Amino acid sequence: MPDHPTASWEAMQGSSVFYRRQQLFTLDSKLPNFGEYIVAGCRYGGPIAMMRDSTKIIALNRATPSFAKSQIQVFSSAGEGLLLFSWDQAKIIRFGWTYDERLVVLNEEGVYRVYDLQGDYQQHSLGNEASELGVIDARIHENGMVAVTGSLTLLEVKGWDGGRPMTLANPKLSEPPNSWAVIPPDITVSRHVEVLLSVDNTVYTVDTLESIDQRLSQGPFTHICPSPNGKSLALLTFSGTLLVVSTDFQRRMAEFDTSSVTAEGQIQQVEWCGNDAITVTWDSLVVLVGPFADTLQYFYTGNTFAITEPDGVRIIGPDVCDLIQKVPAPNLSIFRPGSTSPAAILYDAWESFSQRSLKADESIRSIRPELASAVDGCIEAAGQEWEPYWQRRLLSAAKFGRGFLDFYNPTDFVNMGQTLKVLNAVRYYQIGIPLTYSQYTYTSPSHLISRLTSRNMHLLALRISTYLSLKPDVVLKHWASAKILRSRPTNTGTGTDAELDGDEEVCKLIVDKFKELGGADVSYAEIAKRAWEAGRVGLATKLLDHERRASDQVPLLLSMKEDRLALEKAVGSGDTDLVYQVLLHLHQHLTLGNFFRLIEDGGEKLAPASRLLQVYAREQNRDMLRDFYYSDDRRVESAVLALDEASRMSDPASRIATVKSAQKFFSEDKDRGFEAKMMDESVRLLTLQQQLETEAGENTTFFGLSVNETIRACILNGMIKKADKIKADFKVPDKRFWHIKLYALTEIRDFEGLDGFAKSKKSPIGYEPFVRHLVEKGHTKEAVAYVARCDPPKRADLYAECEEWRMAGKECKERGDKRKLEELRKKCPNSMVAREYDQILSTMK
Amino acid sequence: MSTEDQTKPQDNDPPLDINLLKEIARKSLIDALNSVNGAKTLVLDPTIAGPLGLVTEVSLLKHHGVDKMFWLEPGPLTSSTTNIVYLCRPMIKYVKIIADHIKRHAKESSKHNYTLFLVPRLSSLVSKLLEEEGVLGDVTISAYNLQFIPIAEDVVSLECESAFKEIWVDGDETIVYDSAQALISLQRLFGLFPRILAKGDHAARLVKLLTTYLPQARTSSAPDTLSEISDEFDSLIVIDRRVDMITPLLTQLTYEGLVDELIGIKNCHVELPASLVTPPSGPAPSTSNAPPPPPPPPTSVANLRKESKKKYHLTDQLFMDLRDLNFSSVGKRLNQIARRLDEDYKTSLQAKTIPQLRDFVGKLGGLQSEHQALRLHTGLSELLIPMTRTEQFNKSLEIQQNLLASYNVPEQVAAIEDLISTGTDMQIIVRLLCLASLTAGGIKIKALENIKREILQAYGYNLLPLLLSLASPSLAVLLPNPLPPSTPQAVQALKYPFPSLSKSLRLLIDDSPEALEEVENDISFVYSGYAPISIRLVQCVAQKGGVLSNPAEKEKSQLSNGSDRGKFQAHPIVGWKGFEDILATIPGETLDIVQRGAEGATSSIRNLTRPREKSTTTVVFFLGGCTYTEIAALRWVGRQNRVGRRFLIATTGIITGTSLVDSIAGTRKTTQGDAGI
Repeated sequence: MPDHPTASWEAMQGSSVFYRRQQLFTLDSKLPNFGEYIVAGCRYGGPIAMMRDSTKIIALNRATPSFAKSQIQVFSSAGEGLLLFSWDQAKIIRFGWTYDERLVVLNEEGVYRVYDLQGDYQQHSLGNEASELGVIDARIHENGMVAVTGSLTLLEVKGWDGGRPMTLANPKLSEPPNSWAVIPPDITVSRHVEVLLSVDNTVYTVDTLESIDQRLSQGPFTHICPSPNGKSLALLTFSGTLLVVSTDFQRRMAEFDTSSVTAEGQIQQVEWCGNDAITVTWDSLVVLVGPFADTLQYFYTGNTFAITEPDGVRIIGPDVCDLIQKVPAPNLSIFRPGSTSPAAILYDAWESFSQRSLKADESIRSIRPELASAVDGCIEAAGQEWEPYWQRRLLSAAKFGRGFLDFYNPTDFVNMGQTLKVLNAVRYYQIGIPLTYSQYTYTSPSHLISRLTSRNMHLLALRISTYLSLKPDVVLKHWASAKILRSRPTNTGTGTDAELDGDEEVCKLIVDKFKELGGADVSYAEIAKRAWEAGRVGLATKLLDHERRASDQVPLLLSMKEDRLALEKAVGSGDTDLVYQVLLHLHQHLTLGNFFRLIEDGGEKLAPASRLLQVYAREQNRDMLRDFYYSDDRRVESAVLALDEASRMSDPASRIATVKSAQKFFSEDKDRGFEAKMMDESVRLLTLQQQLETEAGENTTFFGLSVNETIRACILNGMIKKADKIKADFKVPDKRFWHIKLYALTEIRDFEGLDGFAKSKKSPIGYEPFVRHLVEKGHTKEAVAYVARCDPPKRADLYAECEEWRMAGKECKERGDKRKLEELRKKCPNSMVAREYDQILSTMK
Repeated sequence: MSTEDQTKPQDNDPPLDINLLKEIARKSLIDALNSVNGAKTLVLDPTIAGPLGLVTEVSLLKHHGVDKMFWLEPGPLTSSTTNIVYLCRPMIKYVKIIADHIKRHAKESSKHNYTLFLVPRLSSLVSKLLEEEGVLGDVTISAYNLQFIPIAEDVVSLECESAFKEIWVDGDETIVYDSAQALISLQRLFGLFPRILAKGDHAARLVKLLTTYLPQARTSSAPDTLSEISDEFDSLIVIDRRVDMITPLLTQLTYEGLVDELIGIKNCHVELPASLVTPPSGPAPSTSNAPPPPPPPPTSVANLRKESKKKYHLTDQLFMDLRDLNFSSVGKRLNQIARRLDEDYKTSLQAKTIPQLRDFVGKLGGLQSEHQALRLHTGLSELLIPMTRTEQFNKSLEIQQNLLASYNVPEQVAAIEDLISTGTDMQIIVRLLCLASLTAGGIKIKALENIKREILQAYGYNLLPLLLSLASPSLAVLLPNPLPPSTPQAVQALKYPFPSLSKSLRLLIDDSPEALEEVENDISFVYSGYAPISIRLVQCVAQKGGVLSNPAEKEKSQLSNGSDRGKFQAHPIVGWKGFEDILATIPGETLDIVQRGAEGATSSIRNLTRPREKSTTTVVFFLGGCTYTEIAALRWVGRQNRVGRRFLIATTGIITGTSLVDSIAGTRKTTQGDAGI
């Protein structure tokens, strides 16, 4: 039977708060001595990376790997070696871990690589400025980093996809800060990263906008460490005073003098233990400082390394890996000596029950009202317990208590059982992920799965994801990529056949596995990409055939030089942006002739691509469009393009020339006779307009007007003869001409001219338009004259419109139209007219 | 129109909450702005400003750090803040302007952080162009996914004005893809459409994208609505504009439609003389004495142009009441409301006791705003009346009616020619001409060439590309008859069978006075006697009885039979059933797809075919835009079902025939400068 949980507890603050030291693994000196190494640990029970600290001296004759080259070793928390690689680039400035357990290594030239646990990496750079000035230090947090350049400015990188570094506000430092820290954006108030710099006596807070002096006086500080929730800050002064303040520096929470601890050597690390206590480590001593400056001391046999966890602190010593944390509330309430909480009594009752003691019934009875919460308490406590033995006991107690409840939702109980099974599996030393329950719920199950796959533990990952009914896609994808990298083309056959066989086999293996395990949504393109990167082109093509998402297929097809296929897939996807992507890529990489041929040969299938190319070229590259139409004998399009260009030209001569060229294009197409004729007219008109402009003088513009407008302009400028000539030349129908002239003459108030025009011959449009137009323009007086020439039945209304009510009445009287008169009577403006109408009405019978 | 028609469907289920879409759009805008720290200068694409004004307001932007706002226009940009945020559609001309700004700033060595938000998604074209300009490294590019915007309680729109032109003239199908994405977002909110119906080649393309993309969009392991059949929706009907080109060419005759035709509605805003919009100083309630609105001198059109204008957001309650009425009955309704308002005011005189008085004072605010709305709409309809009295307006209406009735087509063509000679707007002429070609299956080649020549002479030879586009195979709305032998097969297949459709879909309702009743009891009231084909097609799916005869008629007979069932229970969606033959005669693909969720698909199919107690929503998506009259007609169809079915109208944008012609001709006036916010 493992030790009772309370065996690892120690009390602080007069035994009201307990901390426990849970031993996670025994290491048996599997790890090198931390004192000689630079170490970075990954949160959530993740691995640690170590690099030899070249500033420290070590004995020469020890059997250690070569020191000439930098080498980074990665170990799991259980001391298993995960990865070892050497660094051949410029000096490493810093390395650290991302949220998804990848190792970021930054060198002094501003180049950083992001390694996964298999040793594959992506390389990015902090930009030119950083590489010129050099990087002197950096802080790496889970989703980005902040680097200090040689000129003491701050650069921030968000995410690990090689995003462009942003420059933060310049704190105007004269020398590197004594110490500094970064509060990650997800836990600051502003949601943007905050940098804390210890300068002289004070601390500067820097974000993207400004740099604020917090006006402290205790500095300089040797350690600055923000708590996991970003709310408080631990500061250690040179004199050894540990200060705890809120991150906005408004409140001071605690102060502790570290010199009161009798320890040898210097303080190594200041780390948080959860959010309420601070660990200060010396060479072989770890001191836990509580919120009220109480301390607990833990002794180790050698150098240690502490990693802050959200719910505690992980201490890795030479022999053991421990988790120190505040005892979680449910466990405390059950196991605290003398506890009388319902959960404790329930647990006690169950123990009595299993010993067949009568006390069980009595205990249950006494907590009857709180039984449900007692059951919940036991379940929660089980989650926080490390030893499966105690987990089982607590769950049994919960199950026992549940039996006395009428309605109880068992979901929590079932979930906890499942979760503990998973957690216990990954805590096994060969897996080496000492994940606590709260860390697990914080990081989500899928995060755990991806951590397992990145360790190539596909079977376990798959079993866990099936067990938790998660989709197996992620695991399968990773597995397939790993499979491709591991499998080599078989050498049994001869030449290419053998390779094909090998490809076929691997592809079939992968596809079958996916079908079998229901990974229908796995992106084959990504796997194909891995295959292609590994030089397995055949395999890549085969895998790509299984991909359904065009947006994933296309880029790979392009890099594989499958141009036509890429274009077809892009068109098929309906995603015009994808089509553009392919078109622009091809335009860049192919000769113009080949490019056009590819599109034209595609026929109906590639027609959308061809049209998109035209849309693009019309805006951006007209020369190319002209060539494109020309090479494809598209006369009409060429002509339209020419017309479009003509409309943008200001120089008359070149405009006429361009319209002429359009005319030529049309005339080359036998079906476009009409259009050719029209363009011919257009050219004639433009030439005529040029002449008119010289005749009429500077101020009048004719050029570019339509035939109608030209006639109008002529009349407005008194060039009546010219107007008549245009009418004849362009065969303008009478009706249209009369309207234009009517409007134009009215506009210049040439009523005499209008009269003459009206009398020149019988109007082809009648005289009603004259009346109406004049009325509309407010010349009612002039309009009246034309009413008499209109159709008799309409005259009464027209008179009314001219506000000649008397005439209207007279007209009605003459025509004997009583109905019309009555209608007008209703509309008449004043009583005088009305009376008159009444009179007329009375005379009519 | 009887008042009964106005009553809302009387079921108690709350309608689909489309304001959710607005909230999402607003939220993501704020997130986008907040991703840039500190004060920023916002540079806006003018075409986005209007739609954006529907989801947010300036104060909100200011609240999130926007210091100054500028239009994205050529020319220098001076900014006092380090952060410059561009918000625009991924268009080449905008990219050039942005690149120009950045280069200028570099020359002046003023340092800025540039962020570019592309609407609705990232574009590789833009990054490529920025790269070519050599400024890609200076710009952070991300996307602002502005999709459907609610523009009325039952209408959502992408507010993309040029959708029609892009699809059918340029052949740029970006909007089809974006629409599919927007519909997927809609499904993500409310669940899968159980059944999807489509008519038209591009509609079919959209539906194929929608159905093939779904499995791909469904990637996250978390359960989401994309794997479940919706219980809110019963179907999606996609109709592309090419299927019914006739309807937008006609003059809209509902109140809202007419306002759009004659004054223009842009993003739900109409520009009105300032005197109409601002309430008169010191509104005296007692002056609302005259039930027939007092006749002030009607503001003439010319006047309207000069007067300072003000934007008015058409959202008042009175407008909701009026918008779908045929314009001829608007006056009557205004009159009624004026009377009622008068009565309400008079109750104040009868109020004797203190509680009565308090009661009245409580209502006073509502009355006053109603009074103000009444004033505005009376003024607005007085603006419209002179415009509807012009010779050209009436002549064009007459030609439309004759063409729809296929009455003496050559004479109508001659009448169009007469209209040209009187100097009528080019857009109206082109609309009529296309209408003639569509209804008569083409225009005699001689007459056509003649009239084309007239158009070119009267309005300028630069319209030749417009005429070519209209005749191009993709659009084919202006064709000679008979077609020349060299015409591609595709064009011949596009020939529109209007005369047969007119009968089989009962498009024309006699306009004689005796039939007036009937006109008001059918969707054809929106065009005074013509039922829009697009809506008839929707009826083919969602109200089969309405296509064949008047539902309202039946209702009457039912009432006389003593049955008090009231309006119908909407019948379940069974696809195009019964109308397959008619649909086959209309050019364009016809689709009918049943979508299955991830699991339990069979049960949901069963749900579909039995009548439900709960109302469901039928989404009608118009690819290429729809008119206000079509919306009005669909609302009318929706009102006929007391229980069972509501419509949610989704569209790429609101169009009129004039806006279509303008977009094809490229003559759209670029005066959107002061649009929206």
